[in-house]
Amino acid sequence: MTDFRPTILAFCCNWCSYAGADLAGVSRLQMPPNVHVIRVMCSASVKPEYVIKALSQGIDGVLVLGCHIGDCHYMTGNHRTAKRMPLVQKVLKETGIDEKRMKLDWVSAAEGEKFQKVITDFVQDIQKLGPNPLREVKF
Amino acid sequence: MMREEHGNVAPALISKGEDVGEIRVDIPYQLITILETIYSWVPKGKIAVITRRCDEKALAELTKRNYIDEKRIIKIGLACSKEQIAKCRCSDPVPSKVDIGEPNEPVPKDDLSERLAKLSPEERLKFWVKQFRKCNKCFACTHNCPVCFCDDCVLEERTFVPEQSIPPGLSFHMIRSYHMIDKCIECGECERSCPAEIPLLTLRKMLAKDMKEVYGYVPGDPKAVSPLNTTLEGETLEDECDEC
Repeated sequence: MTDFRPTILAFCCNWCSYAGADLAGVSRLQMPPNVHVIRVMCSASVKPEYVIKALSQGIDGVLVLGCHIGDCHYMTGNHRTAKRMPLVQKVLKETGIDEKRMKLDWVSAAEGEKFQKVITDFVQDIQKLGPNPLREVKF
Repeated sequence: MMREEHGNVAPALISKGEDVGEIRVDIPYQLITILETIYSWVPKGKIAVITRRCDEKALAELTKRNYIDEKRIIKIGLACSKEQIAKCRCSDPVPSKVDIGEPNEPVPKDDLSERLAKLSPEERLKFWVKQFRKCNKCFACTHNCPVCFCDDCVLEERTFVPEQSIPPGLSFHMIRSYHMIDKCIECGECERSCPAEIPLLTLRKMLAKDMKEVYGYVPGDPKAVSPLNTTLEGETLEDECDEC
């Protein structure tokens, strides 16, 4: 599956991860172009519904990136995300979608290189998994 | 309580010193769903309700979230019959105080969920897609659920469930599963009321098992706070914000 180019959504929090993505861009770090970055105010404003809807409509992978624990601009926003996302993965698993298609990670504003690594690794993981089976499923 | 009248069984509320009539306890109706509706109609005084173990747990979830004042509720404990327990695959059938019936043994496992757990993800997806295609978006699972209490339901938002789409797609039941994960008390009302006979109780049971695995949390305890409302260190947060 070398020519499979996945479509990936990355929800980045405004205060850390989006700035991290910006830094990665300004530093001209090379990374796969498959990722669509969506800026959100906090990783906790990524409703689990968004992740589920994206995957059920055929997106190959969803990344949720937030500030490191303790660094949240809204104090406990990323605690909520950290609590929710494992359960979203379980919902995906039980209905038969690979839970690796959803990933939660923390990237700070200074971690341009980490952003590059997270994106590159995730795209590789998704390439290994292949296309989302729900692309083919018509309701 | 459930009362038989003219050959039909329906929920009934008795407030005067009238004849109670013929009470039926063999119908697994979720009286808590009715209680939620009539609670605001009865501004003062106490309400007695026949509670199975699942009703008791539903009441605990509702009082925890300040929808119902527990002091105003008198619980009449009902122990389920063996047939009923087998139908619900109930693992926790005995209420804290038994007033009617005899306590029976729980049924420890759900055959379908064990069968599904052994399947490969592809086969499991195929199974659920086939099941969810039967859904005609009647919202019976939502309306009859005792612990579905949000004023604005996300499933009625066009963003998540498109208008005029029947079947509503995979996301409808997945979103509902996620929303029920820290509240579901496994009463099985969703499965019983589903006209398309989707095995929703099995889905709930599978996710309840996962919830227990990940956070060690079982809904229905009046004191325990849902892990979704605590920080990683376990401090209680305010209820989830509906705006964001």
